[in-house]
Amino acid sequence: MTNCLRAVWLITVLLFLSGCVSTSLTADVDPEVDLSSLQTFYVAKYSGDKRGTGEKIVEGLQAMGKEASFGVDQQPEEPVDVVVQYRDKWMWDITMYMLELNIELRDGQTNYKFASGQSNRTSLARRSAQEMIREVLDKIFGVETAAGEDQ
Amino acid sequence: MNIVRLGVIALCGAVLMGCAVGNKYSYETANVALPFTGEGEIGVAVVDNRSYVLDGSKDASFVGVQRAALGNAWSVTTESGKPLTEAMATPLERGLSKSGFAVTPLAIGSPADVQAGVAAGGKDKNVVLTVNDWQTDIYMKLTLAYDLLLQIVSGDGETLAENSMRGDEVIGGTGFETQNSENSAAAYETKIGRLFNSDEIKAALLD
Repeated sequence: MTNCLRAVWLITVLLFLSGCVSTSLTADVDPEVDLSSLQTFYVAKYSGDKRGTGEKIVEGLQAMGKEASFGVDQQPEEPVDVVVQYRDKWMWDITMYMLELNIELRDGQTNYKFASGQSNRTSLARRSAQEMIREVLDKIFGVETAAGEDQ
Repeated sequence: MNIVRLGVIALCGAVLMGCAVGNKYSYETANVALPFTGEGEIGVAVVDNRSYVLDGSKDASFVGVQRAALGNAWSVTTESGKPLTEAMATPLERGLSKSGFAVTPLAIGSPADVQAGVAAGGKDKNVVLTVNDWQTDIYMKLTLAYDLLLQIVSGDGETLAENSMRGDEVIGGTGFETQNSENSAAAYETKIGRLFNSDEIKAALLD
């Protein structure tokens, strides 16, 4: 019985620890769309965003040379090439960290979703919000950087 | 000692079941959007052709599985309890309406019934989405196996255009039920939009 208890305890610990280091970085881009031709972006605030993730996405796009703005309305006042929608999920483990970030690029005229990307990092694989934004944008735009090299 | 044994049994039960039991996903909230605008009346049907539903091994509300810690799978169903194809039809109809079409839902039970279903209540042009496979699987990652066929069918049952896609891919990491539901619905948005982004489909719908 003692050995059985030890085995169960070991398996339980391993299962819980394995869940702490899971990562996933994916992107799905319509091959018919030339992303390099898109220059103006509007990031629409996600209703659940309490940590300024939208503004950081704007900064990430601007760092890629794109013209990007942010607003609480789901559609911009001025026409843009792309409306960016996102969802961020945060968790607490000693400190708060971003568990998951989803970014979607939609056509500014039709709302058609032509590209999306997602990063999911559990506690022991956590990164800053800026780094997760960067790796998702890089994945969508096909940029090879060090941001996602541990995938 | 009995208490210890009970504790071990309870722990094993928790590990086996975890948060995997009774998960439900909502596809009705998916924000489907087409890459073009149009006008006119169209019929719309989503047809369930999943082999595991047709043979009765899974309910029509089945959308995939959630695995517990030891990999044992538990069925995930639609949040509404309705068949998956009904849940998928709602955002598809909404997306077509937003794109300018006047949508009439059609009730078509199987691919063999498309011609009769269109003849019974269809329009001059009809959008028929056949779901040959659609199931998510969550363990260390969220994966999606899918096989979809989109057809534009005339009022007399002739296929004017079609586009299909199939695959088995990672669409995200693991998360809580709400996250997994949102990610699954987001994948549906992507796949449907992509099916419509075909010159043949556009021409058949807009000409």
